[in-house]
Amino acid sequence: MARINPPFKKSPWIFHLNTGGCNACDIEILDALTPYHDVERFGMKLVGTPRHADVILLTGPITRESKIKVIRTLLAVPRPFAVLAIGSCAVGGGIWFDSYATIGGLPNLYEEMRHKYNFEPPPTIYIPGCPPRPEAIIFGAAQALGILKKKVKREVYKED
Amino acid sequence: MEAKFSSIIEELENIFKNCIIGFKEIGGGLLTEVKAECLPEVASYVFNNLRMYYSTSSGSDERSIDGKFAVYHVFSADGIGFFVLKASVPATKPCIPSITSKVPGANWAEREAMDMFGITFINHPEPKRLVLPDDWPKNLHPLRKDFEYSYRPSSSSEPTISTSIDIYVGGTEYASTLPLGPYHPALHEPEYFELLIKGEEVIDVKYRGFHVHRGIEKIGESKLTYNQVPFIAERICGICGFAHSSSYCIAIERALKIDVPERAQYIRSLILEIERIHSHLLWVGVACHLLGFETGFMQSWRIREHVMELAELLTGSRKTYGINIPGGVRRDILEPYIDRAKKVIKLVEDEFKVLRDKLLVPEVKVRLKEIGYLPKEDARKLAVLGPTMRGSGIARDVRKDQPYCAYRDLDFRIAVYDEGDNLSRTLVRIDEILESINIVKQILDNLPSGPIRTEFEPKPYRIGVGAAEAPRGEVFHLLITGERNRLYRWRVRAPTYNNIPALKIMLRGVPLADAPITIASIDPCFSCTDRCILIKDLDHNYVKRTSLLSFRKFIKGD
Repeated sequence: MARINPPFKKSPWIFHLNTGGCNACDIEILDALTPYHDVERFGMKLVGTPRHADVILLTGPITRESKIKVIRTLLAVPRPFAVLAIGSCAVGGGIWFDSYATIGGLPNLYEEMRHKYNFEPPPTIYIPGCPPRPEAIIFGAAQALGILKKKVKREVYKED
Repeated sequence: MEAKFSSIIEELENIFKNCIIGFKEIGGGLLTEVKAECLPEVASYVFNNLRMYYSTSSGSDERSIDGKFAVYHVFSADGIGFFVLKASVPATKPCIPSITSKVPGANWAEREAMDMFGITFINHPEPKRLVLPDDWPKNLHPLRKDFEYSYRPSSSSEPTISTSIDIYVGGTEYASTLPLGPYHPALHEPEYFELLIKGEEVIDVKYRGFHVHRGIEKIGESKLTYNQVPFIAERICGICGFAHSSSYCIAIERALKIDVPERAQYIRSLILEIERIHSHLLWVGVACHLLGFETGFMQSWRIREHVMELAELLTGSRKTYGINIPGGVRRDILEPYIDRAKKVIKLVEDEFKVLRDKLLVPEVKVRLKEIGYLPKEDARKLAVLGPTMRGSGIARDVRKDQPYCAYRDLDFRIAVYDEGDNLSRTLVRIDEILESINIVKQILDNLPSGPIRTEFEPKPYRIGVGAAEAPRGEVFHLLITGERNRLYRWRVRAPTYNNIPALKIMLRGVPLADAPITIASIDPCFSCTDRCILIKDLDHNYVKRTSLLSFRKFIKGD
């Protein structure tokens, strides 16, 4: 699921999409891009428009106000592309998972987009943490690039 | 507290004999209850004659206490405490006179109360929706007590997206609108600015924000208990979150009269200053990036990484520290860490001094100087805060005016520059980094010993106000405690909330290429501002703008 098939062979360009997060994940992303962690050594470069992007870095729980803009952004990205959902909010809504002002994370958005726009969700790597450390973001990016493999297995919780 | 306010009480009692219902001491200040119809006069007297600085306003649904809706207007009586004006109106007819014509800074706060509580403000200059999204149903007000926090109403209309159009500005002239955002490389958060440009010159700006409204106040009032709220308060903003959780804790400690141990006070001040250093270094980096000075961006973020390490050393987390709790802090600072922290802070100081000399070169200064001018009187009227205010020559700082935590014992000065342009706001921040390094050193040298936390017993219906100087300005929390260990009302006001309306003045006449740096010069932090959900406003003073409808008519020729 997490691996993009085929993995990017050349430099993946990234677009930073804040859907209503608190900034902590966003500054950790910038931290990963700047000299100390330097994710640019993988050829990852921040671009200004989704139409140039290969990877979307999505943060935040997707608020009601930003939802339509996020949908339009995701529809504008050329295929194939991957999404890195960064932070607890993007993964599952975080502490605002059931608030009136959010829709509660990326999986809910995918569900809605599948019905309304006939949108098949792209390979998505979920990076939890509040905020995730830059190392975790780099690990997620490396998975997307096919450099590293995922270390945990997927498990689905079922009620008995 | 009341003794300190005695001269103000006496003065107000003499002038507004028939308006004032009563005075009451609250945690951190004085509450003055006035009749609703007198509110504008009293507020105008407090703001213009007593020269108190406007802080914020808040609505409150108090139907379950006394069957009324209340409005609180908060002013800061520097050196004494906060001065809160309260007026309440029956729930059957929630109409209160607006104070915006007397106190321009109250514009947004009153509109927010309109959205969130359904209180009507009489004579408000622009009674439009501010916080809630366009497609939110009309008669639904999220902060009313009968609204379930998890209720997600279906859209009343299709959500709209603004598109760029040319606007007729009178005579034979047109101005173009240039959208900036909501996803723009210069803004790392989803906010939408619509610049009205004529040639290269920005003539007006329209702002549509509140994309980051997550309903924090409602969650804090409905499902969390006292001790859980600091954690959500810290997630209001990922950059200045600790200032939020601190001012929440300060408000509750003042409301319930809790004596916080000295060591906890010092630890809070220490982390607040570390947060200021990392936030200002972040801003210096972003400002360099917007000026096209990538070396400055990379270098200042490199230095910032040491500060993040320092935060991790002392609190266990790089960001979102989670050590604040009402009554003290959760984690102590161990002795061996103090020596390591001293080494790191020395390293940061040495490296930053080198960077400062490289930054303040003529090529950078010329891009900042005499651009984005904000006059002192406008700054006061709009109640701007933080470095934006101090860059316009107003020497205020919550750390000095309303001392909290350990700041009473610490020795530091406030950086003030009078020019009011982008350069002076930059210089304020650069000076503040060095001043904060100085404060961190002082605290590390004289950290008192003792316990770090104290127990307390919550009591319902106490009012408390707390403010802390975040990197962007004064963070303000007003709360009313409730039953079952929960808050009855929690109002959060972040500094950017007061600073954004000032952009209208700063951006006028600025060349387009300097617009991003001017927007950045207030160090906007939208996640704080938007905690709760639209802003559309356009000033009619500069250009006469016809409405969209009449523009269409103009094209069609009828």
